[in-house]
Amino acid sequence: MVSPFKIFSFMMYTFIVGSLITGCVSYRVIKAVEGRSVPNTYEKFRVGTTTLQEVLEALGAPDQVAELEGKDVLIYQQSLLANRGLSFGIPLTDIWGSGFDFSAYGELVRYDIVLLSFTPDWILSEIANEKGSRSPYLKTILSDKKGN
Amino acid sequence: MNKFREILCVLLLMFFLQSCAGWAKNKDYHPFDASGLDKLIPGKSTVVQVTEILGAPSEIVKLSNGNAYIYRRSLSKGTGLWLLIVSFGNYEKHYDQVVIFFDKKNIMTHSGITLDAHKAAYGLPF
Repeated sequence: MVSPFKIFSFMMYTFIVGSLITGCVSYRVIKAVEGRSVPNTYEKFRVGTTTLQEVLEALGAPDQVAELEGKDVLIYQQSLLANRGLSFGIPLTDIWGSGFDFSAYGELVRYDIVLLSFTPDWILSEIANEKGSRSPYLKTILSDKKGN
Repeated sequence: MNKFREILCVLLLMFFLQSCAGWAKNKDYHPFDASGLDKLIPGKSTVVQVTEILGAPSEIVKLSNGNAYIYRRSLSKGTGLWLLIVSFGNYEKHYDQVVIFFDKKNIMTHSGITLDAHKAAYGLPF
């Protein structure tokens, strides 16, 4: 038979170690995706010849529609959010009065966007695209390039 | 060996006592029936016929040579998992969208459809 003292010490040990560990270090990973991935079929479109009908058949309904200086613009986009956080601390506030704490958090939102501009008679006049999802998380968030 | 088992038991107990998980689901609901698009004919169907079939649009955009009626609804699903010192969160939001283009006489010229909302899924962020 297990002695009550052993069970008590076991529970105390669990409580103390658990509290210290969870109070000291934490790491989090969060991902959020909004919208569908933009198909690469837009690469086959040709300015001056591709029609709105062909675009809608290939890509489906656009996420945004707008008029811009006499041209009609369709936008297809997906946003990808990545969040990482690391926290390390020694919870001494109860016995010492002050504690040590180190935290590092980063949040990066990347976009895959295709912008298609049409003439009033629905012929493709311009294509612009951005493939943010190709940028690696750490390299992008730590970059100090101007404008980034 | 007994010591090792004791430590393992402690770690397992800590793991289960201090872990939790959660799920969430949100809907931005609009009851349009996208299958009604089959009844619409580009070059013939009017704004009135479109709104009779699909209902009121979520958004109307003025274009250089007419208007676009946008029907949109979304489904999002979130998952959270907390395991002692590590936590994971995942959130996905997808849309069902129908865009109908009209000329200046309010005659339907084009339509585009994307039914993706059902692709929102619970999961982990990797």
